[in-house]
Amino acid sequence: MAEVITSHGDNDVSLQLFARLEARRCLKDIEPQLFPEHGGPNHGEVVELYGTEGTGKTELLYHLLCRCVLPVASGGLEVDVVFVDTNYSLDMLRLVSILDSRLNADESDEAALHLCLSRLLVVHCSSSSQLVLTLHFLETSLSSRPGLALLAIDSISAFYWLDRCEGGASVTKQEEKLSKCIELLGRLLRDYRITVFATCHAIRRSYNGSSCSDYDRPYLCRPWQRLVTHRLLCSRQEAANNMQVFTVHCTSSGSMTKGYSSSSFYVTDRGVKFI
Amino acid sequence: MVVLREGMCPGLDEDLVRDLRAAGIKTVEDVVSSDIEELAQRCAVSYKALFAIRRVLLAQHAAFPVSGADLYEELLSSTAILSTGNPSLDALLDSGLYTGEITELSGGPGSGKSQVCFGVSVHISHRLKQSVIFIDTTGGLAAGRLLQMLRAETSNAEEQMEALQRIHVYRAFDVFSLLDCLHGLRAGRLRQALGGGSVKAVIVDSVSAVISPLLGGKQNEGMSLMMQVAGVLKTLAKDFNVASLVTNHVTRSGGGELQPGLGASWAPVPRTRILLERAEGAADVGHSSVRSATLIKSSRRPCLIKEEFDLRWWSRSGGEEASSGKREREETDSP
Repeated sequence: MAEVITSHGDNDVSLQLFARLEARRCLKDIEPQLFPEHGGPNHGEVVELYGTEGTGKTELLYHLLCRCVLPVASGGLEVDVVFVDTNYSLDMLRLVSILDSRLNADESDEAALHLCLSRLLVVHCSSSSQLVLTLHFLETSLSSRPGLALLAIDSISAFYWLDRCEGGASVTKQEEKLSKCIELLGRLLRDYRITVFATCHAIRRSYNGSSCSDYDRPYLCRPWQRLVTHRLLCSRQEAANNMQVFTVHCTSSGSMTKGYSSSSFYVTDRGVKFI
Repeated sequence: MVVLREGMCPGLDEDLVRDLRAAGIKTVEDVVSSDIEELAQRCAVSYKALFAIRRVLLAQHAAFPVSGADLYEELLSSTAILSTGNPSLDALLDSGLYTGEITELSGGPGSGKSQVCFGVSVHISHRLKQSVIFIDTTGGLAAGRLLQMLRAETSNAEEQMEALQRIHVYRAFDVFSLLDCLHGLRAGRLRQALGGGSVKAVIVDSVSAVISPLLGGKQNEGMSLMMQVAGVLKTLAKDFNVASLVTNHVTRSGGGELQPGLGASWAPVPRTRILLERAEGAADVGHSSVRSATLIKSSRRPCLIKEEFDLRWWSRSGGEEASSGKREREETDSP
């Protein structure tokens, strides 16, 4: 891959080239239970966790985050993660309690925990305009941290109503801001070969014949639907003996892998436990 | 959307702003997303200067990433847990209201949401000696009721007055006044109004009263205003380290069970949600003050656990932890 570097006396450009060429950790094996056979998220792929409130999306996201930042000895992948928090919904105390329970007992707690947490970069955005600027800003972090393999967004649908109202009557104007973010996200995915996990809250019912109120109709703009390669539809089942069971249906439409898969889990103090 | 103005950063003078505007670049986002080389040629500015301006603008307006370790340290040192004053409710909430989070209390009419809010304010202002901001949107707050609850806590008139002074009441009967009030609090009225006292709780009773009339139909504005209120409440809770308690009404879901109102878009906003109902099988259903609280969303305790408690807990006599729990005074009318 030959690139012409025009010298502007800027170090960043050569650093960027290096960062792009160097392979980032592939997250195909992040959670085999969730995806179809050999079908985990590859470089440059996007996983969307979709569901209403209370269907376990956040717990699943924390489970995946912990898997990324934990040391290999405790069953992790030791990669850096950027967490984009769009509505102050990151529950740090919960994340730390899951990390704590998964770290091996023989390691010194404080130091190991600190190391895991330092692999996590948290960014808070309060509007889609700020999200666009932040993604641009994160490009420098991506260049300087080759260990960064995952970008987690919770949630991508946070600004939906704010943008819709600002856009007035025209649908194009309503979707303009988020489309810009997604375009930029697409470019970062291609250039830096990271993986993106994003949660999306379901707010629209789809009425299909006999069964109404099925919350699985996608409503975000078309560019996002095109960008998503794996869609995890989360739902909650009736509690049996006071245990909430959550189900995840995965639809993969990546270039290499197409398929379906279903899995169930329940949530314990130590995080997600697959059945 | 931040509009470009001269003086925003070194190198951005009036002429440059005018040239950029002529080239269609009006906001900071436009500068950051456009091709700098092409833009430099169009505006007859040096690439280096424009690149430097872009870099400064980006650093000024983008959100800055924080390491998880630092965030955790900060959280450990600043988070506080406020007891609600009622041990059953505390048990449900895992010791009480956490600062930096929104807790929602939903229930039908007469389920006791406002009474719980009053009880919590009285407890925080009298026992914990912290200030409380109470935003009343229904007109249901009466100082007499607060005084009645305080009289049960202490018989010292001075202490009662002090505690009442620590509860700051704001009235907002439509969503714009509510937003105004919240933005004002965020902008600094919080510090000013208290002159040194520390606010630990912001209670909004009720948030659905001003928002639900705007929802429904094809209007987007109601949803957008609801998300704006959510955003400001969260920012207020996080930046000023306060516990936010809001109340919500209830609706019936498709299957017939009670669920909190304001729909699926509001649902992810509160961190913890409690549903209040009249206790089933209570001896004297019409006049009983026993309520059952169900935890429907929590990141710390298993969901759907229930606790029963008596609304009269906050106005029980004696002021000390009465072991028998029996009231000796005349029963006043239920909420």
